Amino acid sequence: MKKSVKFISLLLAIVLFLAACSSKSNDEKASGDTEKEWTGTITIWDGPRWPDDKDNKFHWMDSKIKEFEAEHKGVKVELVQVPWAELPDKLGVSIAGQSWPDIAPVDISGSAVSVDHIDQGVIESVDDLFTKKELEDFYPNALDAYKFDGKLYGVPNSMTVHSMLLNLDLFKERGVEPPKNGEWTWDEFLAAAEKLTFDRDGDGKTDVFGFSTYIMPGYYEAWPFFYMNGGSPLNKDMTKFTFSDEKAVKAIQQLADLKLKDKVSPETSGGQDVGGTFQAWANAEQRTVAMQPWATWAIGAAQGKYPTNFAVANYPTGDSGKPVTIGGVGGWTMFKQEEAGKKKVVGEFIKYISSTEEQYTMATEYGTFPALKSAADKDPYKDNPEMARAQEMSSQVVMLPRHPEWKKIDEAIQSELQLVFNGEKTAKDAMKDAEKKVNEILK
Amino acid sequence: MKPVQQTSNSVVIERKPSILSQIKKNLPAYLFLLPKLILFIAFIAIPVVWAFILSFQEYKIFGSEWAGFDNYIKVFQSEAFYIALKNTFLFTVVTVPFNVVSALIIASLIYPLGKLSQSFFRAAFYLPTVTSMVIVAMVWRWMYNTDFGIFNYILGWFGVDSINWLGQSSSALWALIIMQCLIPFGVGIILYLASMGSISESLYEAATIDGANGIQKWIHITLPLLKPSTLYLVLLSTIGSFQVFTQIIMMTGGGPGSATETLVHLIYKTGFRDFEFGLAAAQSVVLFFIILLFSVIQFRVLKYDE
Amino acid sequence: MQNSRSIQKLNKTIIYLLLGVFSIVSLLPLYWVFSTSMQLSKYQDEELERPVSYVDSNPPKMYPMGIPEYFEHWGKAREADKNGDTKEEAYHREVMDNIVSDTFSGFTTLFQKNNIGRWFLNSAYIAVVVTIGILLIDSMAGYVLAKKQFPGRNIIFWAIIATMMIPGQVTLVPLFMMVKNLGIMDTHWALIFPDLAMVFGVFLMRQFMYSIPDELLDAAKIDGASEWKTYWKIVLPLARPGLAALGIFTFMSVWNSFLWPIIVLNDANLYTLPVGLKSLQDANLASFKLLMSGAAIAAVPMIIVFIMFQRHFIKGLTLGGVKE
Repeated sequence: MKKSVKFISLLLAIVLFLAACSSKSNDEKASGDTEKEWTGTITIWDGPRWPDDKDNKFHWMDSKIKEFEAEHKGVKVELVQVPWAELPDKLGVSIAGQSWPDIAPVDISGSAVSVDHIDQGVIESVDDLFTKKELEDFYPNALDAYKFDGKLYGVPNSMTVHSMLLNLDLFKERGVEPPKNGEWTWDEFLAAAEKLTFDRDGDGKTDVFGFSTYIMPGYYEAWPFFYMNGGSPLNKDMTKFTFSDEKAVKAIQQLADLKLKDKVSPETSGGQDVGGTFQAWANAEQRTVAMQPWATWAIGAAQGKYPTNFAVANYPTGDSGKPVTIGGVGGWTMFKQEEAGKKKVVGEFIKYISSTEEQYTMATEYGTFPALKSAADKDPYKDNPEMARAQEMSSQVVMLPRHPEWKKIDEAIQSELQLVFNGEKTAKDAMKDAEKKVNEILK
Repeated sequence: MKPVQQTSNSVVIERKPSILSQIKKNLPAYLFLLPKLILFIAFIAIPVVWAFILSFQEYKIFGSEWAGFDNYIKVFQSEAFYIALKNTFLFTVVTVPFNVVSALIIASLIYPLGKLSQSFFRAAFYLPTVTSMVIVAMVWRWMYNTDFGIFNYILGWFGVDSINWLGQSSSALWALIIMQCLIPFGVGIILYLASMGSISESLYEAATIDGANGIQKWIHITLPLLKPSTLYLVLLSTIGSFQVFTQIIMMTGGGPGSATETLVHLIYKTGFRDFEFGLAAAQSVVLFFIILLFSVIQFRVLKYDE
Repeated sequence: MQNSRSIQKLNKTIIYLLLGVFSIVSLLPLYWVFSTSMQLSKYQDEELERPVSYVDSNPPKMYPMGIPEYFEHWGKAREADKNGDTKEEAYHREVMDNIVSDTFSGFTTLFQKNNIGRWFLNSAYIAVVVTIGILLIDSMAGYVLAKKQFPGRNIIFWAIIATMMIPGQVTLVPLFMMVKNLGIMDTHWALIFPDLAMVFGVFLMRQFMYSIPDELLDAAKIDGASEWKTYWKIVLPLARPGLAALGIFTFMSVWNSFLWPIIVLNDANLYTLPVGLKSLQDANLASFKLLMSGAAIAAVPMIIVFIMFQRHFIKGLTLGGVKE
C-alpha cells in the first residue's frame, strides 16, 4: 500500500511540475532591446458592430487591423469576437484568471471592469497617449467616464443615452398628441399612457398598453424615472444608500403603479425578458406597447431591422422639474502591459481606431454619438432627426455611482425592484430591505 | 459499487523487494494506465485538492491570501446561501420522489407490453433526455411565456387569468419544479425495465399458483426486488437535482429577487461573476458535504441489501 | 373466462391510453421545437391587412401553418392552371414559394447571418475527439484494472471511483485556474482535456472487461503476443458492445455540455452549440422562431444518434446502473 502512495505522489509531482512549467509558455517573448520597434501579437476583444454586404459584423475592425498591420511590420493584431451580451461576464472571468486581452471595448463603470481593478493594477493608464490639445477635443463628460483619481484609464470613442421611444402610429390611432419637442411632465406622460392603453379587438381584454420596461441587474432603462424627483442610489461620497429616501421611493412606486394600479403596463412589465419587451414595442407583428425607454441601439434597430414610425422623447420630469437620463460612454481600455515597447504599440492601435474619422464612421454606421467634438462637428446626423434628438439628451445625463462593489450593489437593488414591480413588496419596504443589503456592502 | 473482496490482491505482491523491479515487471500495465492517470490527476485529483485549499484563501488577482475559516463563516452567515439552500432543497424534495415514482409507474405499465410497443414507448420517454437541457429550457421558457405561452392558453380554457409564471416569486420556482416533473426520467424508466427483465419468471408463477393478482404480485415481488435500482435512481437524481443549473441560467437567472436561486447557480455567480473564488470554493465544498450527507441518509433509509 | 378476457382487454386499453398521454406530454416540448422552427413568421394573405406572425400568437399554433397554406395555394394554382388563368396561377405559385422560404427562414438566417455552422462543426469536432480519446484511454485503463495484478491497482481504482461522487462544481474554480496555467484558456483544448479526464468510462470498461474470459488472454500470451497486440487484437474486439455504449454516452454528454464551455470560451468563433444558443437568446433581437431553429439544429444529431444506437444506450445504462 505504501508503495503505491509513493508512486502516486511521484506522478502528482510530475504533473504539477509540468503544469507550472507550461504556465509561462503563453506569455509574450521579449523581443530584443527596446531600441528596435516592438514586434509580437496584440489581442483585442470586440463585439459585433454594423454588417457589411457579406453580413460580416466585424469587417470594420478587420479592416482597421489590416491597415495597422501593414503600417507596423511584425505586429499582429488578434481579434477575439465576443457577443456584447456575453462580454462583461467573459471579460470579468478572464481578468480574474489573469488572461486578459490587451484591449477591450469597455468602460470602468463596473459592468466588467471596475475601479477595483484599477486599484489592483489591472488597467493601464493612457495619460501619456494624448497631448493636452488632443484631450481638449474630447467632450469632458466622455473623459470623466474614464477618469479615476485624476488619471485617464481608457479612450472614449462613443456615447449613448437612454431615451423614451414613442410609437407614433399608436399615438395617431388613439388621437394622442406626442409631447412637444419631447418634453413632458410625469402627469402628461401618465395621461398619454392612459389614453394609449386600449382594447383593440373588443374582447374585453386590453391588447395595447401605454408603457412597459424591464428590470434586470446591469440594465438601467427604468432608472431615470427613479431619479426624476431628485433621488439617487447612493449619496455623494458613496457611504450611504439613498434609494430608500422618500424622493426615490415615491418615483419607484409611481413607475410600478403604472402596472399595478393604473393598469397602463402589461403584466410582463418589470420582468426580466429584455428581448420580449423590445419585440412588444418594435416587432411589426406585435406593437402592443406604445412607449418604452431604450438605449441608443434601439433607435438604430427601429430605423433598420424593425422599421417603426417613432419619435424620441425625454424621460418625463418629476418634482425636481429637470429631465434626467442615464447614458454610457463606450471606448477602449488597455490592460496591464509588461513591456514598454508593447504598451506603446497597443496605445497607437487604440488611438488609430478612435480617431475623428473612425468616430464619425461609427456615428453614421453604428448609431452612437461621437466622443470627439471634431467628429460631432462633421454633423453625422443631418439626415437622422431621431438620433439628433437623442443626442440633445446627452446634457441631461447623470452618472451612476462608481463604487468598486457597484455590481453587487446593483444586483441588491435590482432584485428588490423586481419584487416591487411584481407587487410583492411596496417600494418603501423593498428599498428598506435593499438598504440593509447595500449598507452591508458599503461597510 | 463492487463488493470488497478484491481489496487484498496487492498484499501478496507487496512483499517483493524494490519498487523499481516492481514497476519494471508491471511496466505494460502502468503504461496502459498512464494516459488516464495523468489526465485524472491533472484535471480531477489536483483540482479537488485545490478546491479545498482555495476555500481557505481570499483570492486576489495578483497573489491570494490565507483567510482561515473566513470563507466558511461567510457562507453560513449569508442570507443568499440559505435562500439558495432552501430553494434547492424544495426542488429536490419534490422532484426526486415524483420522478422516481413516475419512472416506476411508467416502467411497470410498459413492461407487460409486446416487444414493439415496449421499444416504442421506451424511445418516447428517453428521447427528451438526450436533447440538451439548454434546448429544453429554451422551449419551456416559451411555454411559460405570459402572452403567448401554452400554459396560459390552457388556463384560459378554464377562465383563469394569465399567470406571469417565471416573473413572480410566488410561481417561478414552482414553474421550474413542474417542468422538472414533466420531463420524463428516461434513465429511470430504462433501468427499471432492465431490472424487471432480470426478475425470474418462476417467482411470479409461484405467486399465481398462490392466487395472487397482478397488483399483489407487483407489490410483493416486483417492488422489493427493484429496491437496489430504486436506491441507485434516488441517489442519481438527488445528486442531479442538487446540481440544478442550466434551467436557472437559461430561464430565470435566479430571479425574480432570489426566488429561483439555487446552490450551483450561486456558486457560479460567486465565482464567475463576483470573482470571489475562495468563497465559491467554500460554497462548493459545503455543497459536496450536503450531497454526501443526503446520500448517506438515503443509503440508510433505503438500505442496499435486505 | 369471457369476462376476465374482456377485463384484460379493457386493462390493456387503459394502459395504452395512459402511456399515450404520458408520451405526448413527454414529447410535446421537443415537437414544439421543430414545429416552431418551421412556423410562418410573417405570413401575408390577401385578406389580411397586416402581416401575421404565427410564432407570437395566442392561441399558440400546434403545427407549422405553412403546410395547410401551401396546399391551399397549390390547389388554387392547379385550378387556375385548369382554367387557363396564367396570371392567377403565377400568383399562387409565388405565394407558395414565399411560404416555403418563410417556413425555413429560421434556418437560412442562422446559417447566413450567424455562426451556427461554425458552432455545429466545433461541437462535432470536440465530441468526436473526446469520444475517440475516451474510448482508447478508458478501455486501456479498464483493461488493466480488470485483468492485471500490480501494486497500486486498487488504490487507483478506488481513487477514481471516489471522485465520481464529487459534484463537478467543486472543481470548477480550480479547474479554471488549471486550464489558465496550462495556457489553453479560450481554446478547444480547454474543453477536450477535462472531458478526457472523466472517470465514468473507466468504471464502465472495467465492469465490462471482467466478462472477457482469462483463457483467451492466456492463450495470446502463450502465442507470444505483446501486451499491446493482445489488447488491440483480442480485448478491444471483444469489448465492442461496451465501447459502443461508452462512446454514445461520451458523445452525448460532450455534445450537450454547457456549464464548463460557457466559462472557458470567449471567442464566438469557438463556441459550441449550447453556448451559441445561449448567446442567441441573450442577444435580445433574436425572434423565438430563430431560437427554436437553432435548438432544432442542435437537437437533430442527438436524436439521430439515439435512434441509430438505441440498443447500446440501454446496454450502457444498465451496465452502469444495475448491479447483480
